[in-house]
Amino acid sequence: MANKRTFTAAVAALACTALLTAATGCSSGGGGGGKAKSGPIKIWYSNNAQEVSWGKATVAAWNQAHPDQQVTGEEIPAGTSSEEVITAAIAAGNAPCLVFNGSPSAVSGWVKQGGLVPLNDFADGASYTEARSGASVAAEYKSSDGKYYQLPWKSNPVMIFYNKDMFKAAGLDPDHPALSTYSDFLDAAQKLTASGGAQYAIAPAPTNEFFQNWFDFYPLYIAESGGKALVENNKATFDDAAGKAVADFWAQIYAKNLAPKEKYNGDAFADKKAAMAIVGPWAISVYGSKVNWGAVPVPTSTGMSADQIHTFADSKTVSLFSACKNRQTAWDYLKFATSQDNDGALLTTTGQMPLRTDLPTVYASYFSAHPEYTLFAQQAARTVDVPNVANGVTMWQDFRNGYLKSVVFGQQSTADWLHAAAGTVGSDIAK
Amino acid sequence: MSRAPRGGPRSKTLIGLYLVAPYAAYLVIVYAVPVIQGVRISMLDYVYAAPGADVPQPFIGLKNYRSALSDPQLRRSFLNILEFLAINVPLTVVLGLTLAAVLAKLTRMKTFFRSAFFVPYVTASIAVIGVWYFLFSQSGLINHVMGGWAPNPSWLVNSKLAMVVIALEVTWKQLGFYVLLYLAGVLLIPGSLYEAASIDGAGVVRQFRAITVPAVRNVTILVTTLALIVGANLFTEPYLLTNGGGPNGASMSPALLIYQNGVEQGKPGIGAAIGILLTLFVLLVAGAGRGVQWLFQRGEDRGPRRAADRGPGAASGRGRTADGGQGATA
Amino acid sequence: MNRTLQRLVTYGFVFIGAVASIFPLYYMVVGSFQLKTDSAFSGLIPRPGNLGLTNYREVNKAISLLPSLGNSAVFTLGTVVLTIVIGLPAGYALARLRFPGKGAVAGGLILVLVLPFQVLMIPLYILVVRDYGLADNFVGMILPFAVNATAVLIFRQFFVALPDELFDAAHIDGAGELRTLMLVAAPLTKPAIITASVITFIGPWNEFLWPFLITKKHSMQPLAVSLGEYVSTNAATATNPYGVILAGACVLAVPVIALFLVAQRHFTSAALGSGVKE
Repeated sequence: MANKRTFTAAVAALACTALLTAATGCSSGGGGGGKAKSGPIKIWYSNNAQEVSWGKATVAAWNQAHPDQQVTGEEIPAGTSSEEVITAAIAAGNAPCLVFNGSPSAVSGWVKQGGLVPLNDFADGASYTEARSGASVAAEYKSSDGKYYQLPWKSNPVMIFYNKDMFKAAGLDPDHPALSTYSDFLDAAQKLTASGGAQYAIAPAPTNEFFQNWFDFYPLYIAESGGKALVENNKATFDDAAGKAVADFWAQIYAKNLAPKEKYNGDAFADKKAAMAIVGPWAISVYGSKVNWGAVPVPTSTGMSADQIHTFADSKTVSLFSACKNRQTAWDYLKFATSQDNDGALLTTTGQMPLRTDLPTVYASYFSAHPEYTLFAQQAARTVDVPNVANGVTMWQDFRNGYLKSVVFGQQSTADWLHAAAGTVGSDIAK
Repeated sequence: MSRAPRGGPRSKTLIGLYLVAPYAAYLVIVYAVPVIQGVRISMLDYVYAAPGADVPQPFIGLKNYRSALSDPQLRRSFLNILEFLAINVPLTVVLGLTLAAVLAKLTRMKTFFRSAFFVPYVTASIAVIGVWYFLFSQSGLINHVMGGWAPNPSWLVNSKLAMVVIALEVTWKQLGFYVLLYLAGVLLIPGSLYEAASIDGAGVVRQFRAITVPAVRNVTILVTTLALIVGANLFTEPYLLTNGGGPNGASMSPALLIYQNGVEQGKPGIGAAIGILLTLFVLLVAGAGRGVQWLFQRGEDRGPRRAADRGPGAASGRGRTADGGQGATA
Repeated sequence: MNRTLQRLVTYGFVFIGAVASIFPLYYMVVGSFQLKTDSAFSGLIPRPGNLGLTNYREVNKAISLLPSLGNSAVFTLGTVVLTIVIGLPAGYALARLRFPGKGAVAGGLILVLVLPFQVLMIPLYILVVRDYGLADNFVGMILPFAVNATAVLIFRQFFVALPDELFDAAHIDGAGELRTLMLVAAPLTKPAIITASVITFIGPWNEFLWPFLITKKHSMQPLAVSLGEYVSTNAATATNPYGVILAGACVLAVPVIALFLVAQRHFTSAALGSGVKE
């Protein structure tokens, strides 16, 4: 027993040290405020090969012209973990000035942390953002206080990629496949799997990561609803006929085993296990030489014409972090990196679509030289991203849990789930 | 108390403090502060605030605990861990000790066999998971072999089997580590014990039960404790093998929920509360298994008292060295 | 006759176990040489036409293997050395000595083991980076791993298991506690020290998250981090993404397996013999 008492005492002593540390920790830091300064800054860009080469070239060009305001560029990992890295860096006070890979779903959390500087702090902050992307697009990226904590940078509008060889083998038209209505899509899917050519018609990840919604339910819902986000005016939108149609469509896909209920270990489309995939334009350079592919817009119940279809933007944004001292340089660099020339360089090196007005016309020569990107460029004009709400990730996670239970595993009717989920989503974002 | 009192108890106390001081300091510098911070966070509406940022973090008492406990997924995840332990711990102890005992006696291909069992433990998770996927997926090897007998739904998406597969996978992956621990323990048993037992006519199985099992009792406690801790920290397998704790949370784990809440969803308060609950859960389970006792006692109770009694007349007098216990008096 | 049967059963048993254990390594190695991933069962048998070094070349091109291995070595060996220097005496004290605060240290040790890293990660990160100022620094990288708690537990358990008579003899000979530890106890627990070192080695060697968080400079990243980052971002563009991942896993696994092969030679049952037999 004596030992237990010593233990308690030790814990009490440690608690004091912790509180002291925390107290001094809180009083340190600060900075910013007042007039924005110029000087050397640090930025992060995504670390896939194409974006690295774009990032390096842009930094080099800037540095040559601004010897007194040197920019140091470093890579951060793309994918699922980069948001966590940024969250941690904000808390530790060592975030860079700019991150060229922000996820809109993470921005509300970073704002809550006090980690971001509103672009409105700069005289031309709001006007530049709105002029570049268009006021209506930019408005989607505004936070609840009406300020821009992110510059909408680039999008990867998702479409259906299909394997022409598999379609041909299944007796389907490889050049103009009938995939626009749900019944057409299901017919094609059944033919593809029945012919034995494809193990699965399509293989979205049936995993419970919150962001997987964006590559199965959400793009189809955006299309079916004519461009609605999951939440509008702080209310869930999807407990309606469009939501029901999308949920039932996917439920049928899973009930008929046209898609795997297990995660596929690898890339099912690249490995030719699945005949279709829901992807953005980045996929062109990835699958380009491996798969004989074609692309069509996502399906809708009635088969809307391609020029009517909205889809998920899968966009990335750029934010300016409060740890940054030389904010004027950061803002100037942000404008430099998203200028028409550098956006053009981004398009040509990465194939991703800068979130600019009139994309197909500004870079007309590029698109005529690379017709495979044109379809995505046209689609980029009609996209919806994740709603900018508080607790967005919680909302998507709750939505995902229910989706898997109801749609993938069929243990709850889609109508019941959608109704319950609308309530959960409402209370999640209200918290 | 058989320890010699040389130098008196005071200097002995001092020596103990000297020896343990660097480690104690390390625990404080690296762990105590974040742990206490974790406890504090669990009672706040906490935000990972930027330095200097003015972010309110009000004290909300046990609210985080209440909302964590009201989540059916969390309750399910604790039950999942219990199910995991019920499969993993007995298998680990039985297989680990048996293999170690056998490996210790091998004369040929010693290196090969000893190394073989260690391979899964050092192999990167992604490759190991790939292998298990290859075995247990819908179109995997196991279902292929079982044909019409294959479970439906398949293993990884079957709410009754997902956790079983995970428990088997972890047992298999960790086994090499436990074999290593047992091997180090078994190798400490003097061969003379076995010789004596053998002269007295005890067979291999009896020798194993009468000498080996009691002699490595300490290792078994260590192995059980570590297996419990591995179970409590289960993360990678449900995350990667069963679609993130699926199907429908059938393989959800507390650590995965901590990650989802505390890191992904920016609710560190709830994540920290789950962490504290998980810690209490482990201590509770360990306490239930009498595992905590040894922590606070030195050596008084550690040896199997009657190793020699149970042995087939084994090694009267010689038996004491096997376990270091006081069962047999010198 | 009985003997032969016994031996047969024994070898049969370990052989089956060994095959089950080696299977993933086999799968990994075969997969890493395949030019095209063959996930069918036939893929388990290497076909000459489908084999080559492409995957390794792509990994080597994307990551500078040697500097990464060097960083891994600093990170890992630092951890092992600190674990032995700090953890061994602590394990000895916890096992065989009485002193005030022992319960607290033992309790702390268990708490460290029990707490999921997910709970600790961010407070720890803030502490190490913000308060100790150790970002992009090997000290900061090593710190959370420096004294492996499992290793301390292993030391403690094995010191407890040593017979009292040994220590009594040493004490009667006039050795102090420190000399007892150095001259009597430590050599006897050689298998435990080797076990603990191997275990300690594996943790940081395969660790991704922490060194990844703490290093922003690529020139400081250990191999597991460089590989992990490559896998999560660029591997998809490789000719055979899964093969590249497996090749990376092989590169990562080889040093550990080699270390184990060396270490296990020192496992001998004679360790205790001389000390206690008499």
